[in-house]
Amino acid sequence: MRRPSLTLQNPILRRLLLVSACLVAVPAAMSMLGANAAQDEMQIDDQPGYVPNPTDEHLEGPLERQVVFFRTTEPPGSIVVHTSERFLYLVQENNRAMRYGIGVGRDGFQWAGQHKISRKQEWPDWRPPPEMIERQPYLPRFMAGGPGNPMGARALYIGQTIYRIHGTNQPQTIGHAVSSGCFRLVNGDIIDLYERVPVGTRIVVKQAPSL
Amino acid sequence: MFRSTSAGKTVTSAALLACIALLSACAGGPEGPTPIASAPASIASDALVGRWGLAAYHRDSDRPRTEAEAKRQCNNPYVITRGPNGGVIMHLADVPEPQELVLKGGPGGVNFLGPPGPPGMPEDREVFAVSDKSFSVKWVSPENSSRYGRMIYVRCA
Repeated sequence: MRRPSLTLQNPILRRLLLVSACLVAVPAAMSMLGANAAQDEMQIDDQPGYVPNPTDEHLEGPLERQVVFFRTTEPPGSIVVHTSERFLYLVQENNRAMRYGIGVGRDGFQWAGQHKISRKQEWPDWRPPPEMIERQPYLPRFMAGGPGNPMGARALYIGQTIYRIHGTNQPQTIGHAVSSGCFRLVNGDIIDLYERVPVGTRIVVKQAPSL
Repeated sequence: MFRSTSAGKTVTSAALLACIALLSACAGGPEGPTPIASAPASIASDALVGRWGLAAYHRDSDRPRTEAEAKRQCNNPYVITRGPNGGVIMHLADVPEPQELVLKGGPGGVNFLGPPGPPGMPEDREVFAVSDKSFSVKWVSPENSSRYGRMIYVRCA
């Protein structure tokens, strides 16, 4: 009887080696992705009462609000959020979309799927997250909306969830992952989006593909 | 030729002494306005001790709903305890460590809450609308006021 070859020319051995390599590589890759996400998060706390300089609220380059080519199966009038790209798209006709630069809070990375805009609010209220109150116990647990409020000028609430698209008083966080909030736009952009979308607008959130 | 007489020396010395006295009066003493003396506050420290729902607003029109929201914050209350020296243990704005604050009476019967010292210091807050169930504060410092607005404390059950 012929003994099986133990070289790489043996197809069974090759398959075994390939599977073993995947079993090692996948967790390592996932760990790296998680580490990169954490490193990517901008270390900045909410700043109640801070009113930014108007020039700082004017975004330039890719993050500036602009019409772009955008091919999607979602119908015009829908909102599509690509969290990994830090962009929000308002789908228009003829493969176009109004694209807005966004900052994504930890809540914004927690889910993917479809919903509808359930309500809209001008100058929304701010409720600091519990971990922030733990670090800064002098903070109010609720602050009514207005200029300088971390929730910014407008909010669009997503379904019956805690998630929302809102403004910000920290324009420097646009394009970054941050700790608090969900999806944030500079106040000029959230006001623009607020005027364009009615309650009931379809919203689709897409996260980066993961293994 | 001029001769220095004893009378001349006396006049010169007197003038010199007068100048020294004048300069001393100019150089000595504290600068700035005279601090306001603290009078007893019309609120007892015990009125502030307890567990409170804490909320804030900037526009007066938001006060009623902010008060309603403060009641809902008792799941994460702000706790005020008695201090060892008759004051209360609370936080100053932007200072994570609590410390003893005292109630101070100011001009016109206004009550201030802050570190020991004259009433109306920048770190102080003015206490108003005090009842068994709630009290409110507004910050003396314009910077604190712009950040935190007026704060309402509603007593938790």
